[in-house]
Amino acid sequence: MNSFKFPVINPLLHNELRLKIMVALDSLESANFMYLCEITDATRGNLSIQIKTLQEAGYLQVDKSGSGPAARSVCRITRKGHDALLTYEQGLRRLFTERVPDKETQQEFKKTIK
Amino acid sequence: MTNSQEYTHQELEIINRMRGKVMGRNENSGVNLFMVWGYPTVLVFLLEFAALMILQKHWYEWLWVGIPLLGVPLMVHFQRKDYERTGHRTLDSNVALQMWIYIGAASAFLGFFTGIAGVYPVCYCFIQGLLIGMGSFLTGIISRFRPMTTCGIIGSVLSFACLFLQGDLWPWQFLIVSVISVIALIIPGHLIFRYVKQFNSFNS
Repeated sequence: MNSFKFPVINPLLHNELRLKIMVALDSLESANFMYLCEITDATRGNLSIQIKTLQEAGYLQVDKSGSGPAARSVCRITRKGHDALLTYEQGLRRLFTERVPDKETQQEFKKTIK
Repeated sequence: MTNSQEYTHQELEIINRMRGKVMGRNENSGVNLFMVWGYPTVLVFLLEFAALMILQKHWYEWLWVGIPLLGVPLMVHFQRKDYERTGHRTLDSNVALQMWIYIGAASAFLGFFTGIAGVYPVCYCFIQGLLIGMGSFLTGIISRFRPMTTCGIIGSVLSFACLFLQGDLWPWQFLIVSVISVIALIIPGHLIFRYVKQFNSFNS
């Protein structure tokens, strides 16, 4: 019997761009939209959608100043977001370092991340 | 390597790469912060010395007000400009900023209360010099910039010289604090400025 237990993979962070945004903001106090665009190599539209998703999940706090084309968004990671990222990273590290015994459990793992 | 390990390896690669990218681009710093507080501090202390020694005026005791009056608007302006230029603020620079705001407020209270209590000539310059040296030392530790840490230590040690300049010699304490400000604020400010410039030109 296999005693290996899979860590729960957060589906919100199981996306390259969302993960990039979260890691960047976790290393900073705050960053504006243009900086995130540059550092993640993402398009504005895509970045905007992913930020909104993370904001709705309570992982990011977005402060907007001004209106119209000159509006500026400043993003910060919340405590909930920081904890989620930490759990996600720990889960990944555990998966990477611990031995996954057989194909059956691998199939099970694949199901959890879909 | 199993499939799941390959997958996790890729994800961990993304995390590490992003962290490295963000940390490698931390070009905003306390550069202006040091110069912004350093030059007004030197100027005000030299003015205090001149007012006392040359003009023999007693309003010298309130000239310290000029430091926050000049420093705060300049600091706000440069911080805003820095943020607009880089688009982000690091955790380190935020901690350093909060610490210097605290030191600035402590200096203002120090000037005010030593003036009222009549002990301005005795301890104001010593404590002020010690605060500047400590602030510089701690900022050096936070930003992992050794020259700043060294300058902070030199500044703190120099501040003790003020304790030996009492009685008729006390106006010379202002010159000591001016020297401390040059060593602990202006020199590290210029050193970081040069370092950041070199770092940015190397990266670009």
